[in-house]
Amino acid sequence: MAMKWLALVAVVFTGALLIYGVSDFPDWGSADSPANGGIEGAGRSVSQTFIQETKPLTHVPNMVTAVLADYRGYDTMFETVVVFAAGMAIFAVLRVLKTVDGQHSRVIRDRSVDGDHQRIIVGTTCKILIPVIQMFALYVVAHGHHSPGGGFQGGVILGASFILLGLSDGMETAMERLSEGKFVAMAAIGVLIYAGIGLLSQFVGRDFLDYGALQPLLGTPDEGWARSHAMLGVEVGVTFTVTAIMFAIYVNLASKGELKGGL
Amino acid sequence: MIDQLPVICVLSPLFGALFVALFGSRSHSACFPIAIVSLVISLICAIGCTQQVFTTGQAMDYFVGGWGAGKVVEGVEIPLGFGIQLRVDHLNALVLCIIGIAVLLVSIFAIRPQGEKDTEKTHYFYSLFLMLACGLFGQTITRDAFNLFVLVEVSSLASYGLIAMGSSPRGTVAAFNYIIMGTVGASFYLLGVGYLYLKTGTLNMDGIRQVIELSPDVADSRSVMVAFILIMLGMWIKMAFFPLYGWLPNAYSYCPSSAGAVLAPLMTKVSVYVMIRMMITVFGLEWVFESFDWSALIVWLAVIAIFAGSVFALAQNELKKMLCYLIVAEVGYMVGGAWLADADRWGLTGAIYHILADALMTLCLFLAVATFAKRAGVIKLDDLDGLFKKMPLTMVGFIVGALAMIGVPPTCGFFSKFYLIRGGIESGRWEFVIALLVSSLVNAILFFRIFEIAYFGSSPPEGHGHHDDEEHGETTARRGLEAPLTSLVPLWITAALIIGLGLMNGQVVEFIRKTVGLLGGGAA
Repeated sequence: MAMKWLALVAVVFTGALLIYGVSDFPDWGSADSPANGGIEGAGRSVSQTFIQETKPLTHVPNMVTAVLADYRGYDTMFETVVVFAAGMAIFAVLRVLKTVDGQHSRVIRDRSVDGDHQRIIVGTTCKILIPVIQMFALYVVAHGHHSPGGGFQGGVILGASFILLGLSDGMETAMERLSEGKFVAMAAIGVLIYAGIGLLSQFVGRDFLDYGALQPLLGTPDEGWARSHAMLGVEVGVTFTVTAIMFAIYVNLASKGELKGGL
Repeated sequence: MIDQLPVICVLSPLFGALFVALFGSRSHSACFPIAIVSLVISLICAIGCTQQVFTTGQAMDYFVGGWGAGKVVEGVEIPLGFGIQLRVDHLNALVLCIIGIAVLLVSIFAIRPQGEKDTEKTHYFYSLFLMLACGLFGQTITRDAFNLFVLVEVSSLASYGLIAMGSSPRGTVAAFNYIIMGTVGASFYLLGVGYLYLKTGTLNMDGIRQVIELSPDVADSRSVMVAFILIMLGMWIKMAFFPLYGWLPNAYSYCPSSAGAVLAPLMTKVSVYVMIRMMITVFGLEWVFESFDWSALIVWLAVIAIFAGSVFALAQNELKKMLCYLIVAEVGYMVGGAWLADADRWGLTGAIYHILADALMTLCLFLAVATFAKRAGVIKLDDLDGLFKKMPLTMVGFIVGALAMIGVPPTCGFFSKFYLIRGGIESGRWEFVIALLVSSLVNAILFFRIFEIAYFGSSPPEGHGHHDDEEHGETTARRGLEAPLTSLVPLWITAALIIGLGLMNGQVVEFIRKTVGLLGGGAA
């Protein structure tokens, strides 16, 4: 009980502190706020430069994508590493590598649909839905330059399609499509694609993740287009990792780390 | 090539982690060479950067993506904070070297990771280990307040995984507590950075400080003050500063011993570094000590931390737990030192020097204790009985670490206390000076008690013959227990570095004090 009161005091204190700090924030959406208009005497603000110069610098209409995948691409690479690290941590904690005979009771499921009407309905619906979901996922990845979307969102949708397959048709069916070796490799390769594109610009003689350096390799008319294409490349890398880790977390949780049987 | 060193230092362990994940599951023997090679590359880069900073006297800048401030790309002048900046300066160069040395030594020590649920998980262990190293290097080297958060998350997630791999179920519970506390800490930090961004419009550390110096409105605003409090709270949770230390002892005692040997010396120390970086580079010492000025309160908290850590350490009869509470006391040294606010910044200098010293001392003690646990099943203090004769070579390393912890002259522990006490005297904070002296006394009692048990232990001789490959838990048959070279060499190197850092204290402190803002008066 004492702990509850202590927790309440801590929460109230934190809330009060946050509200106190908010009280002299710039007005909501104000064009003169430091984050939008910059500070007097400090030159053009970063966000103004983002808004005004993204199109000439990268030819990407959706400037959020340009900020995320190019200007602050180093952050996004490590966000992908965070996802990868979470997956590895889940494996390290949950994965059971030596199964003792007898402890693991493997449920042999009736794979035929006869007599399992619920299975017919769910299975058929998902069979129709999954390809559509996957197509949509690829669209979200590819269309990140023009609309909200990109690697993380697309990867989550793609991962969800595999999880849906596992839920509707058994985890082992999904694992036949995407086995353990494959999704672990896929997760690592995703980050490797991202970091590899960055490393490639270092080999060309420029800084890490300087996509403009890839212009001769990609044969684009100018460095802006090279940036645009390289951003798509890193988004694909992110998609790989996010898809694989989403599915990896699901199978590890669903089968208590044995990657057999399951839901 | 030289100018690429800062980023390679961070990337090398990342690529190592990816290759371990790719190839490690097929052959576990591939993990170890990949880990060593990537960490050696990092260490070479860290030393190269330090060398460069030392010879030129200038900080090394690196702009990821080529978005350098002031550079003109396609006719557009790039402002500061457009991309992400990395910078090696006098403050973080040596911290990078210490991280490099510690992770490399522990990865040698961990050749056969101990205490895991089964050794089939070697590749997960090394993958997480390398990502931890990557996160630590990254958060030390970055000059971007948000990038720092991302890398704190990388290292934290890796450490949660490493702690939860321990064989005892208490490790899993401890890891869960640590996840909750660590997430709260990281969220506080992130909220603080968000507040700062709203008031300053930039995430670059130098950019934020420039705005705070330029605009009195921003400097005096409540938002910036709340941002500072949130960032400090977040980092104090991460470093286990006094009232927020609850997660630490169990997390570091029940994890695999090779994970403990890297987490205990580095995680808390890097958080202290981040706190000092925030004070010096993001807010500026002038703002911290003049506009904010909570120095007295925080030094008192540090004093309480030192006393509490020492008293709890005295009450422990498990060796690792005892060391964990000593870490709590040592964090008190560093936070207190950093906040002393003496005009010549000796307290802050001492705190930075103590980051290096304490990382080495803690590494030394944890390596020794992990070896004791592995070879002789030592968990409680009484298990050390007569161990001096059975493991003399390991014991030598332990003694050096212990003497440094007490603060005996040729070791670095003496000099860091010397600078901290000097800061305490110059700022007139006698409570801090007294706390340091009492804590040294308590450390002396603690470690001489251990020496006594280990040296004069009067157990009847028991067990003969060689028993290689003893698993822990076995307390009999203690002859021929001496650890293999993979354990001894890292331990001795650490012990040698403790003495080396102590002897070199003049040069090291001179180097540290070239950090902007450390040479008196707080003028940046």
